[in-house]
Amino acid sequence: MRAIRKHERRALLQDRIQVVLLGLFALICLFGSIRGAQYREALEEAAAAFETEHLERAADWRARVVAVESGDVAPEDDRFAGLAMDVARPAVAAPGPLADFSHGVTDVHPFTSRVSLWRSVDRLFGNYQFQSPNEIRAGRIDVAFAVLFVMPLLMIALTFGALSRDRDSGRLGLLLSHPVSVRAVVRSKLLVRLGAVFAILVAALLAGLFIGAGGVPGGERLGRFGFWFLAASGYFAFWTGAIYWFVSLNRKSETTAMMMIGFWVLNGLVGPAVLAAAAQLIHPAPSQLAFLSTAREVSNEAYRSRADVMQGMLLDHPELTVENYTIPEYIRVSYLVNETVDRAVEPVLEEFEAVQDRRQSFLSLVQYAAPAALAMRSINEISGTDLARQVRFEGEVRDYKRAIARHVEARVLAGERLTVAEVDAVPTYTFRESGLGAVGRSVVFPVGYLFGLGLLGAALARRNLARLQTRFREA
Amino acid sequence: MIRAIARKELVQYWRDGRVVTVFGIVALLGLAATVTGWSAVSAMERERRAAVAMDREIWDTQGLKNPHTAAHFSRYAFQPTFNLAVFDPGLTDYVGNAIWLEAHYRDPAALRPVEDAVEIQRIAQLNPAWVIQVFGPLLIFILLYGAVAAERESGTLRQLLAAGMRPVSLLLGKALSAFSLTGLLVCSVLVGSAFVMGAEGIERLPDTGLRTAALAALYLVYLAIFVFLALGVSALSSRSRTALVGLMGVWIIATVLGPRIGPEVAGALAPAPSAPEFAARLDQEGADPFWGAGEEAVQRRQRVMDAALAEYGVETVEALPINYDGYLLQASEEFANGVFDTMYAELWGGYERQRAIARGFALVSPTIAAQNVSMALAGTGIHAYRHFADEAEEFRREFVLLLNQEMIDHGGADGYAYVSGNDFWRQNPDFEYPAPGIGDAVRGVWADVIILLLWLAIAIAVAALGVRRGFLGEVAA
Repeated sequence: MRAIRKHERRALLQDRIQVVLLGLFALICLFGSIRGAQYREALEEAAAAFETEHLERAADWRARVVAVESGDVAPEDDRFAGLAMDVARPAVAAPGPLADFSHGVTDVHPFTSRVSLWRSVDRLFGNYQFQSPNEIRAGRIDVAFAVLFVMPLLMIALTFGALSRDRDSGRLGLLLSHPVSVRAVVRSKLLVRLGAVFAILVAALLAGLFIGAGGVPGGERLGRFGFWFLAASGYFAFWTGAIYWFVSLNRKSETTAMMMIGFWVLNGLVGPAVLAAAAQLIHPAPSQLAFLSTAREVSNEAYRSRADVMQGMLLDHPELTVENYTIPEYIRVSYLVNETVDRAVEPVLEEFEAVQDRRQSFLSLVQYAAPAALAMRSINEISGTDLARQVRFEGEVRDYKRAIARHVEARVLAGERLTVAEVDAVPTYTFRESGLGAVGRSVVFPVGYLFGLGLLGAALARRNLARLQTRFREA
Repeated sequence: MIRAIARKELVQYWRDGRVVTVFGIVALLGLAATVTGWSAVSAMERERRAAVAMDREIWDTQGLKNPHTAAHFSRYAFQPTFNLAVFDPGLTDYVGNAIWLEAHYRDPAALRPVEDAVEIQRIAQLNPAWVIQVFGPLLIFILLYGAVAAERESGTLRQLLAAGMRPVSLLLGKALSAFSLTGLLVCSVLVGSAFVMGAEGIERLPDTGLRTAALAALYLVYLAIFVFLALGVSALSSRSRTALVGLMGVWIIATVLGPRIGPEVAGALAPAPSAPEFAARLDQEGADPFWGAGEEAVQRRQRVMDAALAEYGVETVEALPINYDGYLLQASEEFANGVFDTMYAELWGGYERQRAIARGFALVSPTIAAQNVSMALAGTGIHAYRHFADEAEEFRREFVLLLNQEMIDHGGADGYAYVSGNDFWRQNPDFEYPAPGIGDAVRGVWADVIILLLWLAIAIAVAALGVRRGFLGEVAA
């Protein structure tokens, strides 16, 4: 066996096309790592710049309150210092720990928000839709793309003739006439060829780990990387099993290649496309345009009947009736109008979230039919770039606005300034990534399934090859 | 002779279970894609119409309000999803379909369907154009990889040539059979799409008939490229296995990797401005130099006041026969419009540079060029999106001017306290989008058309080379 492996290694290295293909794969992985690191860095910089700018604004605003409270500035000279309605804080979800490995949905969703009471919840995320639509449509070349799509193609290109070339050339019979197991021969060939792919995969992932970290990676990144590595290995194992099985069918080279490519197409293109279409057809999202119309209608209605809204508020809270109200009326009106809009659109937003939940549950079940989709979802979750994380961020930002509103509402309605102590007690927002344990629990079964499929493929292949050997012996 | 060969090939395809299976799967995918496309487009159109009606009603019934306050609330421009998006949705899911026409700011189109989509849709989106672009070439390669190489391997090629068969006839006969089969697929998908495109409730794009014919021509050229390439590679390959491997490599590069690598490299070479940064700049540069407390802004406002006083020949703002607040607001709009023009030109220019770089990759992947032309014809490409955004912006400026003018003319000394009522709102116009004709649509994709024709010429040359080398070699042997 060692001799076969040695021969295979030499044959692999002497085959220029195969060496070029291996080199191309390494190049795509490297390109994906570098581009991914640039992308993540750009996101981090944008998030940090946004947060810094808005925290500075908040600090300037606080300084005005301090000046009035300490008597350095007369209250009438800065009428709006400490205006409760003007409380604004940044809410930022920095890119996930391995966003450089897989961009996931980060390129189409907002990751920053200026949370202000002047904005109703439907406008919390401002204008962020400036990305190039062509770029978004094409998708990104990241490590995930290299692993999910390019790696299987390379595995196919290197192995489709592992047995069938000998069969086509008539060498198989000659080979089996020797006291050698066909299983061992195929295994040796696959071990050498797929071993080369796996070696590049490991090197590329490690390179990506360090390139993306810009040095020695931290604990969180390392932990996630461990899961990422497992998921990528699971996908590699799945393809190894599938390829082993296709090879064991002992068909002509072109038939084997066609079957493998067909399987790649079904798994990597058709499967995800059909599953996505099915999820969206079975669980349609509420109309975004209807949501927009509802928000506008409610806003319009609340504005139109602002006198009633105000009266209602004062009936509920007579203690907020202020005799010498110096703050313009429109500020209270804006607050109440926005609050009315927030309340009215809440059920629609909940429905959006519920639909996403239902789709995720649906996909969690059917993803097993398309391992590429399954691997992609697991990889995005590990990377911190999945849709569920995004939905959570957006929901938390809305909750955060409510928390701020609760904190300052009495002051807004009474038209009073916030004190420095109250300004300092305004809640802050920090986005927390899911813990490693939660990520691990979520992906363990899908990743295990990939390994399981790989083992199943290998077991079926072993059986096929054993039969083949028997047939040859009998012949 | 050519027809006889083609007929024989078709019979052979029919008898080959693999071909029938693959063809059946692709046809089924085309059908499913058409149905889902129709369902998505008709839903989008239904929702858009409801939103347009609601927008009008909300506007008309907003009651007493200052016109400039109304300009802040403003209206929306909703992008129609036209009938041909059923066939090729192009960028439909990746651009927003509603633009807020508010005062002081040029908003990007919001509500992008991709934000609601499940993440695995980013791998591949099922639509008829995608089915043809990706699976058409695959089907052709499966049909033709052995067209010459397999005949050579089995020894029948030599027999045919010895019997007086002209190599060109053999090649054309095989080309005709594969082409007619895949052409049938294209035509059925297009006819299927055209059938549902005519359904009630779907907006019709100008020149739909011409566009559909152009789409059919485009995809026939696109498939012809792969037919000739396949024949050339098969004729040049000593074995069918080699031909298949080579063609699979071509397929993967052309349809899977090329369309992804091109834009990625373009993004690396000509990065688009970062979205949060661009939004912040748009916000600041459009407002601060006019409304800020800095010296420049103060002087700018002073110049506006001087111009107003000079225009009406009075000494003080109080003596103006108009409402000065409205005048100042309109001046700020005009200042900001200049800033928006510059900044959006920069943004569109960035997209355009990326597209030009990505187009370079069409030299290794005709699919990129075909996608660009297909989206343009279907009215779902970047130019259609820009056309809509520019039209909406033009309307926004006119609309905000109309509202400011109301305040200028009738606000008098009331200023911000001046209010207009429903009678005035009801007179305000709607945004009506004039979609561009086919001439406008294809103006931006001529280079892609030329690249496709170049590809066709190259593919024919490869096939001719195959005839010369492959067949004549056989004859000599």
